[in-house]
Amino acid sequence: MDRRNFLKIFGSGVATAATGNLLNPAKTNASEDNQATEFYGILVDTTRCIGCRRCEKACAEANGLPVPDIDELTNKSVLEKMRRTSDTQYTIINRYDTEKGPIYVPKRCMHCNQPGCAAACLVKAMRKRPSGHVTWDANCIGCRLCMVSCPFDIPKFEYTKAMPRIQKCNLCYDRYKKGGIPACVEVCPTQVLVFGTRRQILEEGKRRIAADPDKYVNHIYGEYEVGGTSHLYLSSVPFEQIGFRKDLGTVPYPEYSTGFLFAVPFIFVLWPIAMLGINRATKKDDESGHGENHENKEHEKGKH
Amino acid sequence: MAGEKLDTVAIVEEKDDSPKIKNLSDFWTFLKKELKPRGNIATPFNLISLPIMILGYIFIVYRLAAGLGKPITNLNQDFPWGLWIGFDVVTGVAFAGGAYVLCFVVYILRAEKYHAIIRATVLNGFLAYLFYAGAIVLDIGRWWNIYNPMIGNSFGVNAVMFLVAWHFFLYMLAELVEFSPTIAEWLGMKRLRKILGSLTLGAVVFGICLSTLHQSGLAALMIMAKNKIHPLWYTEFIPILYFVSSIFAGLSMVIFEGSISHKVFGDQIDEAHHKHYDDILVGLARICSVAMFGYFFLKIILLVHEHAVPYLNSPMGYWFLLEIIGFVLVPCFMFAHGAQQRNTSTIKFAAVITMIGIIINRLNYTFIAYNWYVPLSQKYWPAPMELIITASIILTEIWAFRWIVNRMPVLKEPPAWARKLH
Amino acid sequence: MEELFTYTDIFATKGVEYLIIIAFFILIVAFWGLVNMRPQ
Ligand code: SF4
Ligand code: SF4
Repeated sequence: MDRRNFLKIFGSGVATAATGNLLNPAKTNASEDNQATEFYGILVDTTRCIGCRRCEKACAEANGLPVPDIDELTNKSVLEKMRRTSDTQYTIINRYDTEKGPIYVPKRCMHCNQPGCAAACLVKAMRKRPSGHVTWDANCIGCRLCMVSCPFDIPKFEYTKAMPRIQKCNLCYDRYKKGGIPACVEVCPTQVLVFGTRRQILEEGKRRIAADPDKYVNHIYGEYEVGGTSHLYLSSVPFEQIGFRKDLGTVPYPEYSTGFLFAVPFIFVLWPIAMLGINRATKKDDESGHGENHENKEHEKGKH
Repeated sequence: MAGEKLDTVAIVEEKDDSPKIKNLSDFWTFLKKELKPRGNIATPFNLISLPIMILGYIFIVYRLAAGLGKPITNLNQDFPWGLWIGFDVVTGVAFAGGAYVLCFVVYILRAEKYHAIIRATVLNGFLAYLFYAGAIVLDIGRWWNIYNPMIGNSFGVNAVMFLVAWHFFLYMLAELVEFSPTIAEWLGMKRLRKILGSLTLGAVVFGICLSTLHQSGLAALMIMAKNKIHPLWYTEFIPILYFVSSIFAGLSMVIFEGSISHKVFGDQIDEAHHKHYDDILVGLARICSVAMFGYFFLKIILLVHEHAVPYLNSPMGYWFLLEIIGFVLVPCFMFAHGAQQRNTSTIKFAAVITMIGIIINRLNYTFIAYNWYVPLSQKYWPAPMELIITASIILTEIWAFRWIVNRMPVLKEPPAWARKLH
Repeated sequence: MEELFTYTDIFATKGVEYLIIIAFFILIVAFWGLVNMRPQ
């Protein structure tokens, strides 16, 4: 099958008219990955979240994870303590008691523009799709370097299984391919989450801050952090108060490994040259060979 | 360079096989004879090590069947890497660094003084890699996919781990080639011995390139854990620190292992060699002390460079100072002093301290100073089964080493025909 | 609330590093002497 045919077959199923809106752009542009020109992402407006945890439930259902019980009572008690995403929870809501009252914050994979996890993976099991989704594949060898390399501690490993997987939010990649939007975005009753291209959601975030500068801090978390992420956060209090690290810097994480990686070819060229050179230079001219036996013999003579 | 070398390595493998195929039955009788244990089986070492090894193998089977989590290891979401990576692999590779340093000294610089210990060191390095590679199989969660980086369909060529995996693999081949003349001598294959001997220099040069890169590559693995490793330890230059420290880590291991070998296998070594061995120890101690001196200053410069000085006055700071003074500067001067006084017990003692320091240093990067802000009660600590499996891997390596040393001319003189070559 | 731009000098430690290197040069001479000293 040639490339054109391949694209046609793939494209035909999902090609739709380009008339979507901001909330639903996947339908406008989604076809095959390689036609997407921009990363998709989610804008999370933490000022709107009411902590109902319906996204947790929708996420679990969409991804075949244990579905949490979210009635009013358990809701409260679960929010008492700080939680983190786990190998059975791709997304979680935490409550932070701040000067502006309780603030509920959804946490999940940030879908970094240049993900440390993907750069770390030696078999490309962790991958940044052209559409912005950071996904995991079963050819993973389970080395867990992605966990070490993620600035947000997101990938989780199934330690208790004989055939473990790396578990993390994949921005509902399967739903995206079928033209859908992430399950959490769909279910959110207060429109905390806005799905769109990174440019769209960034503009929307800036618009909201400009429209109500007293309500929001003038910072979109993820705009520049670790080189930019596809998940962006708005907040009414400084981000460190709602559990975001401010010490991550703006350098994309994969860039830290470039120094080493770029040195590799140089070492492979320069070392042999240097060593063969030294080897030749230290050779006594009357020696006939470099075999270890010759040296052995010399050595024996000296010894006895 | 890499591809070309790969080909020669492949050819060697074939050549290595061909004589066996020709006289296969001869070979089998020979091997059967050699496989039989020699000497007294019920030695204290055997009696202690055998139960540990068997227990370890049982746990290994259990680990493969049940997964990585409790009760086998204490690994968790905060500490994805524990003892198996931190000690078996990262520390083990540093200890195996003696092979490339000595190869450089003997084959490149032609310092013949050290020729007497090169075979044991290369063998030790090769076995270390073989068994630590084995430890990786246990540690990687989806071990049935282990071939993926080699013959899979998606190479993560931009990943440091990809390089490390390949370098491990290729370096094992290079060390096998370096050691193969000894095997040929054991098998009595004269022509093969000659061919393999002529490959040594190539394997050495290639091996040193690979060693440089994967000793530092192991550090580069941690480089994206920037926000997790304590600022006293994290610097973008950890690859250089790992490389430099592998020099004295490896040589300390050579001193340590050599001293034990000389006691245990003393009957294989003649008197003149025993005397000469002290000279070797003194020389190695000098190299170690100078390398450690440089390493200490690198640490100080990076401490300043990373603006980490203010952290010194904290529990982690004291731990750091203990590491670089107690386990780097002190043994550095002990080596220097021991070399000057020709006092081999000081040198051996310094080697042990250095090795403990290296273990501490490598474990710092994998789990002690890693996620250092996690409260102590939630910190990773090796589980008993992890320790037993590690012990059984090390003991298995020692058994393999002993088996080979007792049969092949590693410490013994090579057979006369081999000495007459050239 | 807004973050002000703070100037951080990324070369702030260079001077100290060079001083350490000079100290290293002096000390390595002494150390080299120690390593190579003949036993009395
Ligand atoms: S947040 Fe972590 S897991 Fe998610 S894309 Fe970024 S590096 Fe990968
Ligand atoms: S654990 Fe799997 S996905 Fe993560 S880096 Fe290793 S191979 Fe890649």
